[in-house]
Amino acid sequence: MASDATGIMEGFLCPVCLKDFGTVSQLQDHFEDVHSSEDKAVLQSLKGFFDKAKRRILGNKEFGFRESNTQNNENPSTTCFSGYDPTWWEYQELGVTQYHTDAFRAVRDARIDHFVVETNKLLIRLDKLLDPDAPREASKRKGIVTMFSDYLGFEKSIVPWVPDGAVPACLSCEESFSILRRKHHCRLCGGIMCNKCSEFLGLTYAQKLVNPAVSFEGESGFLKRSDSSTSLNSLMGLEAEGHMRICKGCRMLLERRDQMTEQRNIKPTLVLLYEKMRGCMRDANELIPEYLPMVDSLSIGEATYSWREAQALRNKLVRLYDAVDQLSKRILCLEIKPESPSALKQQQLQKAIRVSASYFMQENLIGLQALPSEDQYEELKTARRVEVQRKIAAERQAEMEAQQRERQSQDDTERSRPNGDKKLGHTRNDSHDSVGKGWKPVEEGSRVSKVADPMLQQMEIIRGYIKQAKEAQRWDEVEMLEHNLKDLKDEYYRQQTINFKS
Amino acid sequence: MNVILAVKQYVSKMIEESGPGMKVLLMDADTTVFVSMVYAKSEILQKEVYLFEKIDSGASRESMKHLKCITFLRPTKENVALLANELKAPKYGLYYIYFSNVISKQDVKILAEADDQEVVREVQEFYGDYIAVNPHLFSLNISNCCQSLRWAQPMLSRTAQGLTALLLSVKKCPMIRYQNSSEMARELADNVKRIITNNAALFEFRRTDVAPVLLILDRRDDAVTPLLNQWTYEAMVHEVLGIENSKINLSKVPGISKDLKEVLLSAETDEFYSENMYQSFGEIGTNIKNLMDEFQKQSKNHTKVESIQDMKNFIENYPQFRKMSGTVSKHVTVVSELSRLVGLYNLLNVSETEQEIACQSDHSNQLQQIKVLMENDKVRPMDLLRLVMLYALRYEAHTNNDMVGLIDLLKRKGISEDKRAMVHAVLEYGGRKARGSDLFRSGDPVNITRRILQNLKGVENVYTQHQPLLASTLDQLIKGKLKEASYPYMGANQLKDRPQDVIVFIIGGCTYAESKLVHTLNRTTHGVKIILGGTTIHNFESFLSELSTAVKGQATKYPARTGRH
Repeated sequence: MASDATGIMEGFLCPVCLKDFGTVSQLQDHFEDVHSSEDKAVLQSLKGFFDKAKRRILGNKEFGFRESNTQNNENPSTTCFSGYDPTWWEYQELGVTQYHTDAFRAVRDARIDHFVVETNKLLIRLDKLLDPDAPREASKRKGIVTMFSDYLGFEKSIVPWVPDGAVPACLSCEESFSILRRKHHCRLCGGIMCNKCSEFLGLTYAQKLVNPAVSFEGESGFLKRSDSSTSLNSLMGLEAEGHMRICKGCRMLLERRDQMTEQRNIKPTLVLLYEKMRGCMRDANELIPEYLPMVDSLSIGEATYSWREAQALRNKLVRLYDAVDQLSKRILCLEIKPESPSALKQQQLQKAIRVSASYFMQENLIGLQALPSEDQYEELKTARRVEVQRKIAAERQAEMEAQQRERQSQDDTERSRPNGDKKLGHTRNDSHDSVGKGWKPVEEGSRVSKVADPMLQQMEIIRGYIKQAKEAQRWDEVEMLEHNLKDLKDEYYRQQTINFKS
Repeated sequence: MNVILAVKQYVSKMIEESGPGMKVLLMDADTTVFVSMVYAKSEILQKEVYLFEKIDSGASRESMKHLKCITFLRPTKENVALLANELKAPKYGLYYIYFSNVISKQDVKILAEADDQEVVREVQEFYGDYIAVNPHLFSLNISNCCQSLRWAQPMLSRTAQGLTALLLSVKKCPMIRYQNSSEMARELADNVKRIITNNAALFEFRRTDVAPVLLILDRRDDAVTPLLNQWTYEAMVHEVLGIENSKINLSKVPGISKDLKEVLLSAETDEFYSENMYQSFGEIGTNIKNLMDEFQKQSKNHTKVESIQDMKNFIENYPQFRKMSGTVSKHVTVVSELSRLVGLYNLLNVSETEQEIACQSDHSNQLQQIKVLMENDKVRPMDLLRLVMLYALRYEAHTNNDMVGLIDLLKRKGISEDKRAMVHAVLEYGGRKARGSDLFRSGDPVNITRRILQNLKGVENVYTQHQPLLASTLDQLIKGKLKEASYPYMGANQLKDRPQDVIVFIIGGCTYAESKLVHTLNRTTHGVKIILGGTTIHNFESFLSELSTAVKGQATKYPARTGRH
């Protein structure tokens, strides 16, 4: 057996790497961390085994607890529990979901691809037709059809026109062509329709379609078809004014594309204001975790943070909240065209945004702790210093008494070991830790050298770390460093007072 | 297995997936209730959801392309058609579509073909297809599911859908047990099983040591519980005032202020309510006084505001203060209205008699008590009816049964014929023939000894003697002693161990009394989690309506023997 070769090992061994762990839970943690990527089935079976083992090992304890529990609640009908049961609110996985987006896309894309290809073809043709070097005269554009020559016109050279003879009736309304109902060609797809079914694309609008940089203002890029269905002259006139005859299908494709680009590129004022407002909210939320520990520390008179820095931060926060307030008010008062079809909902939307902004303000601004004023802070600082000194004195007193008692029984050589050194060593270790975490001291030469006291040096260095960490936005480390700094300062005060007194 | 959390996480996920930007939530009538039960409006506003629209209001809605639209719908044919129309002429910029249950491939295709403008970003199923009332309680808001003592077909499929959605949302693939005496329970169990088998891929979960259990019961086995007046806060409010989707209507309260005409009772947002919803009426009185005192302490601070500093301090506490003041006035109003009605209708006397009938067996004495109450003009006719119905159930087979006499008395009190017919209806619905278990536990030796002991000790609280039948059913289930003959398994598998996760569903509706019971069980039974659900949540009034549909068209075995003047 394998165990014969390796010797029998006991304890909470990891079944995979045979490491020994102190407790069941440690072992389980280790197993989940290190071996979780391995075969799931093995993991599951082992987990089940662990659970059983755990129950057996810890069972007695839990069982005892359960028994005492049931004894307490001998009559559950008379004991009442509040409606809030914390065990219900533990972490819970998101329920099952099923994803249909891909199936949906597959069906949609098959349809849409056709549109996209068609639209692109139309746009390329349109671009060529709008070429500024292209001939302007109608005859050259359409081409002249005589008995002798069949000069292919410019338009036909780009778009192959469906031959007149191929279509007996309008492709759109299915009325047959006659002297009265003449055949017309769509300039984009070359298809044939009657005059009634023609659409007229304005050339300025067409410019915009091919080149979004061209601006177009107006109700619609298409001209209303004139009612005089037979007047050739008026149609010629239209084309002279800069319109292009196209069919309904092409119009639909072009309009669809235009709407989509429009939507992508144009943001109404409301959206712009709203985005600005959300930006301010986000910034404020980022600053809050930085500000709160500052106030807490400053308002008990500690010197870990600079008062000015905190004040500046507070001003910044207040400005941001103010901006949120102003922006949301502006959103609320945004002019809505009364005749616009979405007036009512628009109003509801603006109101809701304002309401949510005021909830935001209620939650944050009103609860924003005030900083002590500069004078107050000075007072607090002195008060704290006095308090700290008083405490130190009390401690010293106690220590002295203890030492005196000790002296009675022991040699007084014990006593001479300087107390401060020990503490200093400890704080150095702290700073060493932070070096290990990746913050290098910044040699601000002159300042450091001026301060002779190693404690103060240490404090300078840590301040340097804090600055770096802040620049890197690593707030957890900032917090840790600030904690170290605070300890150091306390210790420094303590030494100072000791020196002062001795 | 927290159902509120399950639905809430679904909604949060939807909102999250649509990313930043202004949003509108497009729902149908059902999903609106699902969402409103788990999300407070202020909370959802903070997530950038600013508008709430109904899918069937298409014509009146207006185009707002700068909004993202989160669509949460039940996958009905009508909804799919409405949504397809919406997509053909989209009013919003982008659509994130979520269905609350399984949707067919065909429907996905219909929608995809309508999306010419490529506005749809997501199509998914999120199984929040039920009303989460409390962490352990859900309802489907289906009233009158039982018609002529059989399932109405659309309601059967809705119930099966709701139950399977619940299972998916808490990721449980259970063994199914059902009450053998009920054909409806068997049919539902069968339907649920079939859905699970047909969607086996969805129900692939990590196996737990002990499989969860879904226990399907029928209201007909315990028609007593919904007949009783209740004395714990939540149950009492529902019995006396009526809770509808966490809201109670106080507009009939004399001298009510405008903003209290409809109040929200939600354990999610209201700490006082969550602490007291299962407390008895008497205890709430004390607790409310404490709350008042605390509030008055704060109010005193309020009156003492003199300096600007005071004001500032006050304003700094403002949100809590306002929240607290809202809670106080709300609960004071509700509780004082409850106690006014209790006095006005003599509910204490009525309830005492009710409890005696349900729990003791002293026929002649109880008959006498009912007759005394009949003479009392303060007692509501509705409560008299309640008593006679209880009496009818309790002494159905008693030799000296005087049901006919009592119905006669009801008639003299001016109770209408169709109301009087309810006495027979309740026998038809939940009488001895319909029951599968020993509702009044006359034959249970444990119960007899308990009753004797109780008589020796004296009953602690006469108004809360009655325990719903569910208590003993669950007790047996948890101990692994529930008889297989009465509660067989659907399918071959059987549970060997004691169950840990239990989902109980009552066809024909559960009650808040049972919800309280389940809550207490969850708190006291180590390692067991129980979720309770029902087609609806009953009080006496809604139960009457359930009854009248249930027995409609039944050739009654109890001919209305009126006459005898």
